[in-house]
Amino acid sequence: MNNAIEINGITKKYKDFTLGGVQAVVPCGFATALIGANGAGKTTLIDILCGVTGKTGGKAVYFGDMTDIDDDKLRNRIGYCSSANFFPMDWTIKKIADSMELGFDNFDRQRFAELCKRFKLGDPTEKKQKKLMKLSDGNKMRTYLAAVLARDTELLVLDEPASSLDPLARDVLCDLFREYLSERDGERSVLFSTHNIADMEYATDYAIFMANGKVIEQGFVEDLKEKYILVHGDAENADKVRPFMISFSGGRTGFEEIALAENAEMLRAYDTAVETPTLQQLSVGILRKAEEDEK
Amino acid sequence: MKIYQNSSEPIYKQIAAQLREQILMGKLKAGDPLPSIRGLAQDLKISVITTMKAYEELSSEGLVTASKGKGYYVNAQDERMLKEQHMRQLEKHLSDAIYSARIAGVGLEEVEQTLEMLWSIDEV
Repeated sequence: MNNAIEINGITKKYKDFTLGGVQAVVPCGFATALIGANGAGKTTLIDILCGVTGKTGGKAVYFGDMTDIDDDKLRNRIGYCSSANFFPMDWTIKKIADSMELGFDNFDRQRFAELCKRFKLGDPTEKKQKKLMKLSDGNKMRTYLAAVLARDTELLVLDEPASSLDPLARDVLCDLFREYLSERDGERSVLFSTHNIADMEYATDYAIFMANGKVIEQGFVEDLKEKYILVHGDAENADKVRPFMISFSGGRTGFEEIALAENAEMLRAYDTAVETPTLQQLSVGILRKAEEDEK
Repeated sequence: MKIYQNSSEPIYKQIAAQLREQILMGKLKAGDPLPSIRGLAQDLKISVITTMKAYEELSSEGLVTASKGKGYYVNAQDERMLKEQHMRQLEKHLSDAIYSARIAGVGLEEVEQTLEMLWSIDEV
């Protein structure tokens, strides 16, 4: 299988934070989620991958053979959108259209206008325009998305695109991902970060879990759902099963946690209920383990 | 096609089951293309990898073949294999029926009578 990006040991050292030797892939033709708590290093990694921040070491290979993110040829193939203030706040959608057209070869003004209409942002050709600062957070994000989706790219990289959107808009976002991927079947990829995966579950094909500047798990969602199981049980058995669990959370009546599927038979012997976890449940278990390990 | 997102049956299995049924019933014929993986994901509002897994399952059963770069196509079903598949379905449903019968304490004779009755209704 081809990869849109292969990340080989990328590091970034700050005074109080180190992004440490990230090894990961973004498979071509799929939507990849970068999942982690706040401060896990998601944004730092995305910024490095998109050439916004420099790196201390390591390298990334894009589309099989490109490595220089400062190369315009590469940048033209990537649609990047940060989580906040992507454009100056006194800009209007008309100004955005003008500047995107100037900055990128593949910006399609017509498509931008269509997307603005679809997102109910107004008409970029109209005289009277609202400035970005007057828009709600959700509408700002919609504006950024319209701008980035109006370019004909092969890879979308979006930092926390869903966090400021209401449930309906998140659903539209998921649809947009699937639409983007299916328009050029197998050639396009999406990478997005999130700390709330539940709404994005059905738009996620590959997941990269990060904690404390490191990648702690990654894989295709369907494979991860076979690797891990969700276990429920009575409190009286909690101590016996604890050693087989990835991480643990329980109360006086019962417990619920993630374990490796290879331990399923053993866990069933302790009168537990074993299920396939959702991506959300998987994320909680994996990230909780990372938090416990840190202590 | 319809999908239960909160069912305990994985979504990829639901998709595979519905396509399998269409192939076995002859609604999808030899040489027919399956919907594109990403197109189906878009229609059903599910992830691409889930659709892909469903297609891979059908492919491993020999019902469809992946044509590189072009998607999946329905294979010619040889009659013996088709019958084999239908027999497997039949056995599965009968096993379910036997299970219900045991719970209800219904004996073989009564089950046979029920089967005969249903069979004759269906023939009309």
